[in-house]
Order: sequence, then C-alpha cells, then structure tokens
Amino acid sequence: MSDYLKPLPPITNLSKPYWDSLQEGALRMPQCQACSLIFYPPAPLCPGCWSRDLTWAALSGRGTVNSWVVFHQAYLKGYDNEVPFNVTEVTLDEGPRLMTNLVGIDNDDIRVDMPVQVVFDAVTDEVTLAKFAPLPGWSPEGGTP
Amino acid sequence: MAGDTDRLRRLADQAVVCGVGESAYGRRLGRSAIDLAADAIQAAVADAGLTKGDIDGMAVTFGSPLGADADTLAFALGLELKAYNQTWAHGRFTGTALQWAAMTVAAGLADVVACLAAVSFTGVRRLRVGGGGDREGAREGGGGHGEDPVYGMTSPGAGAALMARKYMARHGATAEDLAAVPISLRHNATLNPLAMYSEPLTLQAYLGARHVAEPLRIFDYCQVNDGAACVLVTTPERAADLAQPPVYLGGMQGLPAGRHEFIWAYPGFGTAQQIETDWTPGPQPVHRMAGVTPADIDAFFTYDAFSPLVWLALERWGFCGIGEVWQFTADGRIQVGGELPVNTNGGLLSEAHIMAWNHQVEIVRQLRGQCGERQVAGAEVIQWGNVYGDSLIYHR
Ligand SMILES: [Zn+2]
Repeated sequence: MSDYLKPLPPITNLSKPYWDSLQEGALRMPQCQACSLIFYPPAPLCPGCWSRDLTWAALSGRGTVNSWVVFHQAYLKGYDNEVPFNVTEVTLDEGPRLMTNLVGIDNDDIRVDMPVQVVFDAVTDEVTLAKFAPLPGWSPEGGTP
Repeated sequence: MAGDTDRLRRLADQAVVCGVGESAYGRRLGRSAIDLAADAIQAAVADAGLTKGDIDGMAVTFGSPLGADADTLAFALGLELKAYNQTWAHGRFTGTALQWAAMTVAAGLADVVACLAAVSFTGVRRLRVGGGGDREGAREGGGGHGEDPVYGMTSPGAGAALMARKYMARHGATAEDLAAVPISLRHNATLNPLAMYSEPLTLQAYLGARHVAEPLRIFDYCQVNDGAACVLVTTPERAADLAQPPVYLGGMQGLPAGRHEFIWAYPGFGTAQQIETDWTPGPQPVHRMAGVTPADIDAFFTYDAFSPLVWLALERWGFCGIGEVWQFTADGRIQVGGELPVNTNGGLLSEAHIMAWNHQVEIVRQLRGQCGERQVAGAEVIQWGNVYGDSLIYHR
C-alpha cells in the first residue's frame, strides 16, 4: 500500500503505453505513420488523418513553458501542505503540450518560454509522473547561457 | 458564400423572447432548485401575459444535483411538454439551449419553450467545483477546462488563470489592467437592485485580495449562489398580441469544439493542444445572419465566470484587435455609460451566477428599455458572445 494521497491517473488501454514509458524512464507519445503527427492525449486513431497506423515515438523530453498557475488553495487530497504550488503547461519540442509541475525552481522564478526538460517522479510502485525542471544553466535573469 | 448566408438567414427573426423572470438571488436561501424555478417561470409567464397551459416546451442546461432536471420540473410544475431538451450541466450551453428553443418553435415542434435554469450551489452540501468532486478532471481524455488532477490541476478557474498568465506575458498586460473587468462589472451591479454585490470595488481592494489560482484573485471569480431565471421563446406570430414587445433572435452561431478550440481561449491562442497562430476573427456567421457588424452592437454580454474570459470574448467578437483588449477595457469603456457596456447586470462576477440566464433576462430588458438607472440609451442590438465561440444577436 502506498501513502501517496494525490490523485492517480485513470489508465486505459489507450493511455497504458504512455504510463508504461514513464515507468521505464522515457517519454513516448503516439505518432502517426501515415502523416507523422505526434499527438497527445493518446487516441484510437490519428486525429489528423484518421490513420490507425500508430507507433509510440520516444520524445526528447525537452520543451518550453507555455503558461503556469500557482495554486494558493488546496482543492485536492494530498495538497494541504503543498500550497502554494505550481501547475505548468509545457509545450514539448515535438509539439504536444503536457500539464505538469516544475520542480527545482521557486515559483517566482518561472517564466513563459523558459526551456525545461523532463524528470521522472515515481510516486507509487505502479505510477511515474512526468515532471519538468529548468534546463541546466538557465536563470530567470540571464536565460540559458 | 451567398448561398451560406441565405441558409443562415432562414432562421433569422423566426423566434422571439416574449417573457422573462427570475427568483431572488443569494447565498444559502434555504430553498430547493425546484422551488426557485417555480418563482422564475411564474414571473416569466406573468411578464409575457401567458398562462401555465401555454408552455409546451422546455430547455434546461443545469440539471440535478446542482439544479433541477427538465422532466422533474415538468412534473413538479404541472406542465404538459411536447418537447424538452437538456444539456450536461455547464454554463457554456446557455446559447445552445436558446438556439434549440428558437429552432423548435420555428419548426413548429412547440409553441412556447421555457428555458428554465435553477441552481442551488450553496444548498448542495460540501459542493466543490474542482477538487475531489471534480468529475470533469476524471473524464477519459482529461478535463475540458485543462483539468489534470494528477498534477494538481483542478477547477475551471485554474484553466482561466492559465490562459490569463499567457495572455499577460504575450501582450504586456498586468493585474492592474485585469482589475478593470471586475471593477467595471461591479460598477454596473451598483445600478442593479437584483445584484448580490453592490458595493463599489476599488483597485486597492482588488490587488489586496487573496490569490486563488494565481494570477487570479478572489474578485476574478464568479459568485457561488442560489437562484433561478426563465426566458420564454416563441414565434413572432404568437408574440404579436402578448403583453411585452417581442425581442428578436436575429443571429446565431453554434458552439464549436475540436483541437483548435480550448474552452477559455479563441483558436490560435495556444493553450491545451491548440496550435499557436496569428488568428484574427474577421466577420462571423452570427454577424452575417443578423446583418450587422461589431460597430452596430449597443451592448455586449458574455459568460464572465472568471474575469479574463471577458477579455478574450471581446477580442474573439471583433471589438478590438488581438492583444489590445487590456487597453480596451480601461477607462470605464465597458461600464454602463461607456462606449461598449458589458454585462450591465453586473454579470456572474457581481449580480449572480445563474449560468448567465440572468444575462439573457437583462439583455431582453435592455432591449425593452426597462433597465432604469443602468439602461443603455437607445439600445437596439445586443450581442451574447463567448470566449468559447457561440453567439446570439438579439434586437428589438
Ligand atoms: Zn495521421
């Protein structure tokens, strides 16, 4: 039994390969073999061309901050001692966006467009989350050297 | 294009609003949704000069457990309905319900459709929109407002905050600029005896208030309350000898969905999976159908559950350029008496949250000239238009 109280993802047959990839320390998303579109969340077919010929592509794990919010109110179980905490939307270099948390940074230092990279957070034995950290060397004043 | 306009115009002015009414609005009224609904529909039927037996259609956008379902309302109120319709419980469906009502009377499936909205947010014990009761966030494929509870992302307001942060960063707007929205709508509420909040809001009080999902503060969030409102839709022929002058539904535009849409942003904005582009709205079908342009609109009403929604709605419907609205909403321009009055009732932010059915009631009263101190002088054409892309154009 885990003492992790926060919500866990509802894993379906469509999304299981995604969550499995995080367990393995990789970030994989569906890619259409007909039109090359990489998309998220997982779907039964390519939302671009309706091809069913999909594979799971390994992504770079790099992206930029699209936007973020800082929660000052704990709505969810497991967050009572965490406010204020950030929720950040990252645009991956390959295109799709992911909701995530930035780690290893003060909330006041987060900036739109800052470069980030994935870190894997094994929150339970069964579930690993994709969180993101600033690219090494990045600073809110100086950008990336 | 001409053919499209001809088809669009077939439904223009084929339906009118003939009656409006509401219950009291407030917190912890201690009354059920059905009880509140009865006040609203009786007021609307009396306003129209109709009787109970005339109501043969119903549209509901907010069913149980926060509101009341159409079939239970028909039973409780003793109505004999030929046609009813109910959406899943979201404020976004107000325009959709009115459009269904208009199509239903125009097609002859019913004569008078009661759009009846009742809500008891404070009567439902320990209700939370967001958090553990967040059914949106648990949907397969994720929540419609960006909810992703696995990372703590919950509540529709947080999705609006995400959009607002990006907008401010892209276009150089600040919290002081955003404050103009709740301050202006609160000003409008000071002129409205029905409004729950009628004390003026100052910039100092706004900036001093606590953050909820930063950058949004508590004054950027709508009210959470109880109340009901009713809008009666019929044909122009049926309305001709009724008690009130008819208010015409001259233009309509449906509710869009897809990967280019995010509920709290227009296409191209670049939130959720939207591709970021230099999108500009241009003339919209609702304008073509009603035969008007944004310059003809005397007042604008929009779903203001969170104050940044007003910003993107004004840009989406062409009242200013993309990236300019934070300047447009300054200097009292959207207050009663300003260049483009917005939500003259005070909106969800300051009048009450009746899923914007209270806004439809106010639009009708403005076009009848019944708004007293907050009357928009000479109001002839009013638009209901939302950040999420649906619209109605009403005229007298
Ligand atoms: Zn494809």
